[in-house]
Amino acid sequence: MKPDSIKKSVIEVSDLGLSYGNRTVLQEVSFDVMKGSCLAVMGASGCGKSTLLKGMTGLLKPFNGKVKFEGDSMWGDGQLPHDEVLSKFGVLFQGGALWSSMNLLENISLPLETFSRLNRQEIEDMAAYKLSLVGLSGCEFLYPSELSGGMQKRAGLARALAMDPEILFLDEPSAGLDPINSNQLDELILELKDSLGITFVVVTHELDSIFSISDHSIFLSNQSKTIIDQGKPIDLLKGSRLEEVRDFLGRSSRSNSK
Amino acid sequence: MSLGPKDIRITDEGNYVHCNLLGDWLLVIGSEKAHFSWGNFWELQTQSISTCKFTLSPSSSWDSSLLLFLFRAKTELQKKGIVADFSALPEKVKKLLSFAEDRMAISSSLSHEVINGSNLWADQIVHSFTQVSTFWGKWLLAVGKLFLGKSFMRFGDLIHTCRDCGASALPIVTLIAFLTGLTMAFVGSVQLEKFNATIYVADLVSLAMVREMGALMVAIVMAGRTGAAFAAELGSMKIREEIDSLRTFGIPAIEFLVLPRTLALLLMTPLLTLYADIVGILGGLTVGSQVMDFSALHYFEQTQSALTNMWEIYSGLFKSLAFGLIIGLVGCYKGMFTGSNSASLGKSVTSSVVVSITLIVVCDAIFEICFSLLGYR
Repeated sequence: MKPDSIKKSVIEVSDLGLSYGNRTVLQEVSFDVMKGSCLAVMGASGCGKSTLLKGMTGLLKPFNGKVKFEGDSMWGDGQLPHDEVLSKFGVLFQGGALWSSMNLLENISLPLETFSRLNRQEIEDMAAYKLSLVGLSGCEFLYPSELSGGMQKRAGLARALAMDPEILFLDEPSAGLDPINSNQLDELILELKDSLGITFVVVTHELDSIFSISDHSIFLSNQSKTIIDQGKPIDLLKGSRLEEVRDFLGRSSRSNSK
Repeated sequence: MSLGPKDIRITDEGNYVHCNLLGDWLLVIGSEKAHFSWGNFWELQTQSISTCKFTLSPSSSWDSSLLLFLFRAKTELQKKGIVADFSALPEKVKKLLSFAEDRMAISSSLSHEVINGSNLWADQIVHSFTQVSTFWGKWLLAVGKLFLGKSFMRFGDLIHTCRDCGASALPIVTLIAFLTGLTMAFVGSVQLEKFNATIYVADLVSLAMVREMGALMVAIVMAGRTGAAFAAELGSMKIREEIDSLRTFGIPAIEFLVLPRTLALLLMTPLLTLYADIVGILGGLTVGSQVMDFSALHYFEQTQSALTNMWEIYSGLFKSLAFGLIIGLVGCYKGMFTGSNSASLGKSVTSSVVVSITLIVVCDAIFEICFSLLGYR
């Protein structure tokens, strides 16, 4: 990474509307993600956080509005998003979404074999290195079905990191993790953000982690199906005009003060 | 931005070696050149060196592939008793290096051993035999409980499954049975013409349909259509722990999931077979009346005279009852005992179809042999 990357927006979402068939999930959603920053997407269950991630990663075609990556529209004239755009993304799915017929080493090697110019030995070393980053060294030859839910999640993160993506989309990365592992995950995110300049978009309910990792946050609502508030999480906690948002963010400090 | 290949310039500075990393150290760039210079230098090096100092060209881009190289270099140098000096590298590289080293140091206490069941084939045969017979026994008990009125089975499920595997299968059964009757009539007519006995096509088609082909064709369609669907449905429920969650409520999966499915097939297969018999005879009639110029009435009378004994029809229906049971049980068994990943789900579905069809053909042969020996043919 170039050390002197200037802060500029890397993803621009404007007037985005997403639906499943006739059911509108999100509408009129607009926000920017700054390069090298961490955006937290918050909201109650079922408000469309994962759907928003699908829309941003090109898995769900919006019925309205645009998602722009570094100034280019994600969905070109054709029906599919551009491949070169997708290759800069890393995605961690809610359930890990590991390929169950392959062991962890193969899971992480597959993108490296396909897209990198590393030799066999280097690919294996790289996979082992990525697994150790998420605290799973020694599990290279285990299959996803032999792992616990939290381990699958971490292995999914290691796979998302495989190609050193420019942007990482994480769907509830710390759900199912113990506090220590969850904390280590936050450290990893901060470290990668700082040294490799990776941009993060994180869907999460973990309030402590929202406060420690994110620079900016957006809050989605079930009722209006759009962003009801956005800003730095700490500012939202103190000064959001909506009680719903203050209440949501306040849960963490309340439980801390007890 | 054009990218330069990874390269290393190594110079001997007397008491230490200076290793200057050039080019762009990215995953998408090959590292052959760098590896070559690196390997070459250490091969030719004879003097004893204590330190190797690394620097990175300021114009270089880098990602994890740089870290990977530095880790490997460090390990290699350590083996030679040389200290790798990373202090002149950019601050961010150093930070990430030490972060990664800390993480790597926490070695996982997880055992690499995967517990495998016995690989001895005899053990496996015994194991599957036990599994199959347990399943069969539980199913029989479940049927018993149903008659006692103590079953967990919901009749709504039974009706729903009956519709899925009965009424919804009518179009495909119609097509297959009609074409089977039609084909048999064509093939038969060519042979019977040699003896000037073409009217016996009606006997041939009707007897073959009711005794054999009706039941067999319906069974094969049901194995591919419904048996596979049962295996896939129960298999994915198994993978998603839905079956375990039933068990935690004390609801036996055999009664709740397997019973309605198998009973539905048991009821629907004979009905579909009867329907297929009729459609197959109509297929023969089409050839008889359109190609061979018999009047429809004449053809029907001939068919009627061939089927004077109702046992001909009952024997086919009796067989189809057994086929329905086989398909239902095999499909559900394969689904219930799916492994825990998606590859094993695929295997279960495939093997449910293969095993069902094999058992159907074997069972059909046994029926025919028994009928002949007992004088029912």
